[in-house]
Amino acid sequence: MKLTGTYRCPAPRARVYAALIDPVVLQRCIEGAEQLVRTAGDEYDVRMRIGIGAVKGVFSGTVRLADMQAPEAFTLHVEGKGAPGFVSGSARIRLDDAEPGTAITCDADGQVGGVLAAVGSRLVDAAGRRMMDRFFERLGREFDPPTTS
Amino acid sequence: MSTTTGEKIGYVGRAMKRVEDPRLVKGIATYVDDLRLPGMLHAVFVRSPHAHARVKRIRTDAARAAGGVVGVFTGAEVNAQCGTIPCASSFPDLKSPKHTVLAGDRAYFVGHPVAVVVAATPYAAADAAELVDVDYEPLPVVTDPEKALEAGSPLTHPDLGTNAAFTWNLTGGDIDAAFAKADRVIRQRMYHQRLTPMPIEPRGCVASYQPGEGTLTLWTSTQIPHLIRTLLPGMIGIAENKLRVVAPEVGGGFGAKLNLYAEEALCSHLAMRLGAPVKWIEGRRENAAATIHGRDQVGDYEVAVSKDGRILGLRNRTIADLGSYLQLLTPAIPTLTGLVVTGAYKIPAVRMDVVGVYTNKMSTDAYRGAGRPEATYLIERLVDLVAAELGLDPVEVRRRNFPAPEEFPFNTATGLTFDSGNYEGALRKAQQLARWDELVARRTSRRRAGALFGIGVSTYVEICAMGPSKAMAAGGWEWGCVRIEISGKVTVITGVTPHGQGQETTFAQIVADRLGVPIEDIVVLHGDTSVAHYGRDTYGSRGTAVCGSAIVMCVDRILEKARRLAAALLDARPEQVEFADGAFAVKGSGGKRLGWTELAGEAYIAKNLPRGFEPGLEASAFFEPENFTFPFGTHICAVEVNRDTGDVTIVQYVAVDDCGNQINPLLVEGQVQGGIAHSIGQALFERTVYDEHGQLLTGEFMDYPMPRAEDIPDYVLGSTVTPSPVNPLGVKGVGEAGTIGATPAIANAVMDALRPLGVTHLDLPLAPEKLWRAIRQGHKE
Repeated sequence: MKLTGTYRCPAPRARVYAALIDPVVLQRCIEGAEQLVRTAGDEYDVRMRIGIGAVKGVFSGTVRLADMQAPEAFTLHVEGKGAPGFVSGSARIRLDDAEPGTAITCDADGQVGGVLAAVGSRLVDAAGRRMMDRFFERLGREFDPPTTS
Repeated sequence: MSTTTGEKIGYVGRAMKRVEDPRLVKGIATYVDDLRLPGMLHAVFVRSPHAHARVKRIRTDAARAAGGVVGVFTGAEVNAQCGTIPCASSFPDLKSPKHTVLAGDRAYFVGHPVAVVVAATPYAAADAAELVDVDYEPLPVVTDPEKALEAGSPLTHPDLGTNAAFTWNLTGGDIDAAFAKADRVIRQRMYHQRLTPMPIEPRGCVASYQPGEGTLTLWTSTQIPHLIRTLLPGMIGIAENKLRVVAPEVGGGFGAKLNLYAEEALCSHLAMRLGAPVKWIEGRRENAAATIHGRDQVGDYEVAVSKDGRILGLRNRTIADLGSYLQLLTPAIPTLTGLVVTGAYKIPAVRMDVVGVYTNKMSTDAYRGAGRPEATYLIERLVDLVAAELGLDPVEVRRRNFPAPEEFPFNTATGLTFDSGNYEGALRKAQQLARWDELVARRTSRRRAGALFGIGVSTYVEICAMGPSKAMAAGGWEWGCVRIEISGKVTVITGVTPHGQGQETTFAQIVADRLGVPIEDIVVLHGDTSVAHYGRDTYGSRGTAVCGSAIVMCVDRILEKARRLAAALLDARPEQVEFADGAFAVKGSGGKRLGWTELAGEAYIAKNLPRGFEPGLEASAFFEPENFTFPFGTHICAVEVNRDTGDVTIVQYVAVDDCGNQINPLLVEGQVQGGIAHSIGQALFERTVYDEHGQLLTGEFMDYPMPRAEDIPDYVLGSTVTPSPVNPLGVKGVGEAGTIGATPAIANAVMDALRPLGVTHLDLPLAPEKLWRAIRQGHKE
């Protein structure tokens, strides 16, 4: 499953970057994230409730941030497993100045396995796209109403 | 065929409704899931979501601590006590992985069981199974069986050193000479897709141990209780005569339940270990992932022909995708393809090379037709390709290559002896029923109107009544027993295990006629090894041909004994006594008649028996078939393909099947109807799909398109009757014929419809998207 998308955020690049690596903000923005706890420098334990079509379940796993080039880019590695199977993937996230805010480009590649693949494969791409859209929509709201400095 | 007793028409040959059906349609039959035993525990399996992975660690503490949980078991705790899953076939170079009941340090396919949770309720077990935490390290995955044979491929089983499980070849006649003298050689690569059997009732079992007696009873949704009773004791450490296996009502098998599965063995072991009954019911998603699949062969096929359409030789290399493990008959299936690969034709030379390949998928094994649908599809497609190449009528090419009726018994280049046949007769009848000339004219006019209209023919022969013991791993005989009860009622016990084939009805018809009793007085028992002491069960369209014959032997023995008893009671010699209408009397005397009630009373009360006469009126018999039987027929299909959508509409379907004598034409028709429905699924819709990571993508009915009622046309069904000489009933078997004969007829029809566009061959399934693309491509050219 490959997903790419570009989103706009009404805040300067440095603030968006800071929000994207802030576990408190991330937990608010990731739909279904019940828990996001830092375990090491750039690593977090995550617990998420995911539903794809008829397959629903709790996934637990890790999120790791890598190749961090503040405030331009970083890579997100995700591994999770639960009763309905597993998810794994990574996303390269780029931030570009786009006055008056920031353009965020997300280039993700993921794989699902187990029951999730067996009964949800038709829906995985759409579900992944929806999760990504929701994430950036919520992220945008973090900066809403637009701040004036 | 009707037998007559006096003026009365007998039961055999009559289209009678099944005695089984009322309980099925009323919902009062007993399936495994209906069983409730006191103290019964419930098992749920934890399965690998990875196609190939190292199992690094399994944490079970949270699951063990969950409410209602009695135990959680991993491979480390049960594999040493359970032995390995048996495979009945062998080849000199067969390499077998150790097939333990649970995964050891590796998981080999998505759905591979790695742990089992046993709890007081199925819900508690399912919830706790979610708490079992398995650490997997994904390993390279093998999914493409051809790439799996290339140097440097990852290995499904690294300890075997290769992905090739076995090689097998079949040679007959001088294949090189056939190709050397051929006017043309036609080549085609064909892929016979993987299919999921999908019986309406998934698998399931209940195992119960009686510690006082030291006996274990296993109720399981299976086609083969007797083979399980033979194979399971060695796995779990119990004597064969302390194991009772019962197949209660079974909601469809289609070969998927012709196996001894890990779950059955493990539930049996756990029932003994925990001292409580253990029940497991398979879910639909588990069934799609962890019950055997069928077919999955790919090959390059070559046929050598003379310019007048005579087939001189057939050569191919077939790669059979076995999945990750050998189930009971996994390696045998492609060899069945080889045996009937020459179809209904006189092909003097053949060479078939088969390589069985391990991949990280569920095992393939017998699925309705088991090897013969593959053979029939490829030879019937090839015949059409030959006809197209030579500009001949495909029906005429078939005719030119048929053996004539007087050439039977006919010896094939593959080493079989076809028992009896009249292939031309079945073809002619099918053409009559299809109104052939009108159908061809309709094609012409529809094409002229711009429609994609095609006609497909398949003239198949298959192999049934399995089979002579020398050709069957576990013996191919069958056992039966007939008992006249003291009341005069008749009990028939059969060693086959019907689960939809209707032998409670057909065996009663056979016995009622031969004993001259009302059919209502007969009960047919089956499926319980403590009632049917021996048997080789139901598969390979064998029930009526092999066990029906054992039952005829039983009846003959009872008649012989009853005649001696009647003679003694009538003060006559046995040869003076005649039997008619269910009673014995002295010939020509017009005097006293002794019916079954009187004779049974005498035989069991035993006050008037001659000195030395053995009491009772019961006989059992083993029937050993001298050969397989070879049913045949012609299927004709006409389709119209929608140019805009690629949808196929079957506008006419005619099947003429010759299964020898018919005990009950209604049941023959039912079997053929169901078989054609399976073929419609295979030809037009179904395909089991694994992605490049070995993930199963067709895990339920949303993704695995079984045909629906709207996809099934009205069939015109007919038959010819060419009795088999190899059993006393003259029957051949019909359980798989529809699945074998119909797929190529449908495929040939669709290909004929696309012929005007220059399309010569497409692999199955001929789903709308594939046809739509081919039509678009065709238009461009």
